[in-house]
Amino acid sequence: MENNKKILIVEDELAMLNALEKKFLSEGFTVFIAHDGEAGVKIALNEKPDILMLDIIMPKLNGLQVVKKIREDTKWGKDVHIIMLTNLSDPEHVSEAAKYSVFDFLVKTDWRLEEIVSMVKEKLGI
Amino acid sequence: MNKRNKFLVFRLSDKILVIIFLFSTVLFFLAKYIFSGSLLNTLILGTMIYSICFVFTYVVSKKFSERITALTMKVEEMAAGNLSKKLTDTGRDEIGQLSNALDGLILRLQTGVAQDVSTHLELRQAKTDFVTLASHQLRTPLSIIKWYVDFLVSGDAGRVNAEQKKYLEEVYASNERLIELVNALLDVSRIDVGTFSIEPEPTDVIEKAETALKKFASIIKEKKIKLIKKYDEFPKINLDPRLTKIVFENLISNAVKYTKVGGVVSVVIKKTSKDIYIKISDTGCGIPREEHPKIFKKLFRGYSAKKIEAVGTGLGLYIVQAVIVKSGGKIWFESPSLDLFLKDGLKNAKIPVSKRNKGTTFHITIPLKGMKSKHGTKKLSSVK
Repeated sequence: MENNKKILIVEDELAMLNALEKKFLSEGFTVFIAHDGEAGVKIALNEKPDILMLDIIMPKLNGLQVVKKIREDTKWGKDVHIIMLTNLSDPEHVSEAAKYSVFDFLVKTDWRLEEIVSMVKEKLGI
Repeated sequence: MNKRNKFLVFRLSDKILVIIFLFSTVLFFLAKYIFSGSLLNTLILGTMIYSICFVFTYVVSKKFSERITALTMKVEEMAAGNLSKKLTDTGRDEIGQLSNALDGLILRLQTGVAQDVSTHLELRQAKTDFVTLASHQLRTPLSIIKWYVDFLVSGDAGRVNAEQKKYLEEVYASNERLIELVNALLDVSRIDVGTFSIEPEPTDVIEKAETALKKFASIIKEKKIKLIKKYDEFPKINLDPRLTKIVFENLISNAVKYTKVGGVVSVVIKKTSKDIYIKISDTGCGIPREEHPKIFKKLFRGYSAKKIEAVGTGLGLYIVQAVIVKSGGKIWFESPSLDLFLKDGLKNAKIPVSKRNKGTTFHITIPLKGMKSKHGTKKLSSVK
């Protein structure tokens, strides 16, 4: 099951963060976690994960602000896969995120954990 | 200004004229009596007095007429809903007072209308805020339950025995129902507030129908329902894929749910000269005739439907109708069922359901040019 992919999950809801962390760990990912946007940006820039999963409504920096900061990194950040995790289906967020080349929005209640993992694997070509 | 008002104004100035005419005649005879001069003097004097009086009459009556006309026009403008201008009559007489009173009334009406508008906007905002709050606050714990039950069922957190698994699956199913309900409530709120968007894009309508049918494949198999499908060939059509999914899933879900074991469900998608025509029919419990007018109403659930499926939101058809109508299509249904509650109700209720009615058919048309696009800040999310 081990793979060499690194994933960063930024989510302020602890129970969700734990569930995602546990699932991705069991699938062999190297998992980094952050509870708020600011910490997320720091870890992202240090660890340069292969894929990021970001909640939108978070303390300090929200998901869209995190995306903006990540994309400012002209080497790794400008092309890294980003998936927005949300419980809102708001076209304004979608179009805002699209400005930073983020097209994957995942409404949490619509997805089972296995489906999320399959989607991430597909994005990373595993 | 209407004829009646014009007549009133005329009559008022007329009265003034008559009074002044009588006044000047009295004045003339009085002068003649006092001066008792020659005929020529009398005529000159009379002509002068008459002229002065007529000019005076004309000026005074014109002034009154103009002020009253202005008032009348303003009242008519108010009646037509224009409250923007104030009157400028500064007279200190009755007309001036009336004008002042009218200005006061306009001011009060303006404040009232402004308050109504602001109350309406506040209510709208409160509804929108509720939608946002509910989206986030209700869906977050529901997602957590979903994911953790998933963990337990899949055995990721240790082995569970068959009975435990069955119970957990019940929890999962109930949670899914709650998610559906929250989604449906949010959609209704978005429909009512008008914030939902319609974003048409080239969509394969047959594929959307097939995906929806697949979702209910296991129930169709379980209930040994005969599925009839008739599709015309279609190019991709500009439809909002999400909304098309909502429409198919709701109608197919109902058809499957309310059709008895061994019944028939059919899905027909045809191309007419102007429209895509969708027909979804079943041989289910039907809709009693007296319930027909309520079927698209919010929160309404039919008598027969409740007997078959106790739980249901009563929001599905409301959402489907709103989606179809707002996107420029039409939706109607037929259910040649007998009355259950009126006249022969009791007698009819004793007839077995299978003989009492002949199922339900929903018809939808959407223009071939596609759904009408609608800008909105929210997307509908409910799926059955």
